[in-house]
Amino acid sequence: MSEAPPRPEPGVVDAVDAVVGDLLPTAEAVPRTQWQLFRRRFVRHRAAMAGTAVLLLLLVACFGADWIAPAEKGKQDLLAEPAGPSWDHPFGVDQLGRDYLTEVLYAGQVSLRIGLAVAVISTVVGSILGALAGYAGGWVDSALMRLTDLFLVIPQIALLAIALKRFGSSPLVITLVLAALFWMGVARVVRSQVLVIKQREFVEAARAAGASDLRIVARHILPNCIGPITVNATLAVALAIVAESTLSFLGFGVQRPDTSWGNMLTDARGFVGTDLSFLIYSPGLMLLLVTLAINFIGDGLRDALDPQSTR
Amino acid sequence: MTAPLLEVRDLAVRFATEHGPVQAVDDLTYRIEAGETFGIVGESGSGKTVSSLAVMGLLPSTATVSGSIRFRGEELVGADPEELRRLRGDRIAMVFQDALTALNPVMKVGLQVGEIIAAHHDTSAADRRQRVVELLDVVGIPNPERRAEQYPHEFSGGMRQRAMIAMAIANEPDLLIADEPTTALDVTVQAQVLEVFARIQERTDTAVTMITHDLGVIAGVADRVMVMYAGRDVEQGSVDEVFYAPRHPYTRGLLASLPRLDGGGGRLERIPGNPPSVVLPPGCAFSPRCGFAVAGRCDQEPPARREVAPGRSDRCLRVDEIGSVA
Repeated sequence: MSEAPPRPEPGVVDAVDAVVGDLLPTAEAVPRTQWQLFRRRFVRHRAAMAGTAVLLLLLVACFGADWIAPAEKGKQDLLAEPAGPSWDHPFGVDQLGRDYLTEVLYAGQVSLRIGLAVAVISTVVGSILGALAGYAGGWVDSALMRLTDLFLVIPQIALLAIALKRFGSSPLVITLVLAALFWMGVARVVRSQVLVIKQREFVEAARAAGASDLRIVARHILPNCIGPITVNATLAVALAIVAESTLSFLGFGVQRPDTSWGNMLTDARGFVGTDLSFLIYSPGLMLLLVTLAINFIGDGLRDALDPQSTR
Repeated sequence: MTAPLLEVRDLAVRFATEHGPVQAVDDLTYRIEAGETFGIVGESGSGKTVSSLAVMGLLPSTATVSGSIRFRGEELVGADPEELRRLRGDRIAMVFQDALTALNPVMKVGLQVGEIIAAHHDTSAADRRQRVVELLDVVGIPNPERRAEQYPHEFSGGMRQRAMIAMAIANEPDLLIADEPTTALDVTVQAQVLEVFARIQERTDTAVTMITHDLGVIAGVADRVMVMYAGRDVEQGSVDEVFYAPRHPYTRGLLASLPRLDGGGGRLERIPGNPPSVVLPPGCAFSPRCGFAVAGRCDQEPPARREVAPGRSDRCLRVDEIGSVA
């Protein structure tokens, strides 16, 4: 039962590295670590690098709005005529005489913050529940997975609308409610990964070393799931930003005076077909850019974290 | 006489499978004294690994264990799982066959060796690090400080096995169970790894259980040996006794099937047939393949273990008729 056939070599590169490492213990030919391999593959992924650049630019612009924005937040110039994009006002001036670029940047703070927070919270919650289900198995697994199914079949928009009416539409509540509806995907992915990894021999070895269940999950199993977890978390950011926009668009999301890209779209909706049509483009474009950038990053991470990848 | 380090008595392990119960280990009795090297030899499926996993308390929940396993006088069968966890890796440690799969691919080797210390002792990370470097040095890994910072895939097979051993001896266990520790290695590296075991036993009073199907390994390192067939021990004794005066026909067959340097150029001896897989034959499990088997007796009556001298036993109905070594 223990005489398993010898496993195939993990890869020529690894084998050569291992040999070189043995022959030349102090040689400069230091074998590449997993982190270095990952970084190399990610940097070579053009779309992901472009996505990273765009996302960084937007993050800096939005969260640096206090220094970067051309006007003061929400400052109305009642004498200014609403006008389309110009050199002075790249995104134009809205119906209240506000510089629209400034508005978009500050609104981005709210949208991005909600997106990031939802991704972090739902990833942590989903990972913990998924790991628990996969590792414990049995009735714990069944109970948690049925709970996951339950959350998946809930009509989300309806639940969100009710919850936000009940608890108010502050960004914090929106974040928590969205997170409560976002953890299921991560939980399922983590559970399936844990089911595979807990069969691996190093988990048995850790058990033989007297590691407790908590230690085995935290130190041995979850680090081996980091790839799918990261990819899922990344995509959750984009999905959460879009979800927040949808809610705001329907009037349940971020409420004035707070602005987000979603409620800017709502406000601009009424001007479609008039001279002020341009008001709908810039927040929409921001949403598109952020979502695309994050999805490209997710793709790049997936490829870079995949050990089979040959890029 | 003081109590032995490990005393296994009437151990039986049964697995519930889809095809009905499978008796992996049956009526197994052996003892291991402190500091000695105890070899367990047998073919695939003879129950050597299962019996050791039973000692570690690592069998899956589909297994039913009965009998008694006493470690330093303490009963392990049916013991509290937390109690067993504290023993594992601290007092009883295990070296696995395939170090590549038994090491966590995403954790630095040094940290992994440190993990087993952290699982049992409340020490600072700096102390652990220092101890890990010491351990890697003990098992003969050159440049331990730099190697501790590397990942398992950057190690060669022999180095990985050394790292596994370093992990197993980190808490200076009383018993080290090595399950085919050299099978996945080529012959020169095999010798070096066995050397490491010998060195560890010189330094500490660790007993080693060496599980293998390689009689050469047993002859080289073990003090006493147990031959297993179909989940039972068919013969036990000192290495010299078992190798030079084998009693059980199966042991004889095994020894006769070894290639000899001084022998003629003839074909190798072999044991006809295959070991039983799931359903054991009635009577002696070896009888269908045994040249000495007598119809109506060996295939009817299961032989019992007979202790012929302290630490020397066999399990064969005809052993006295067929005499000692042929």
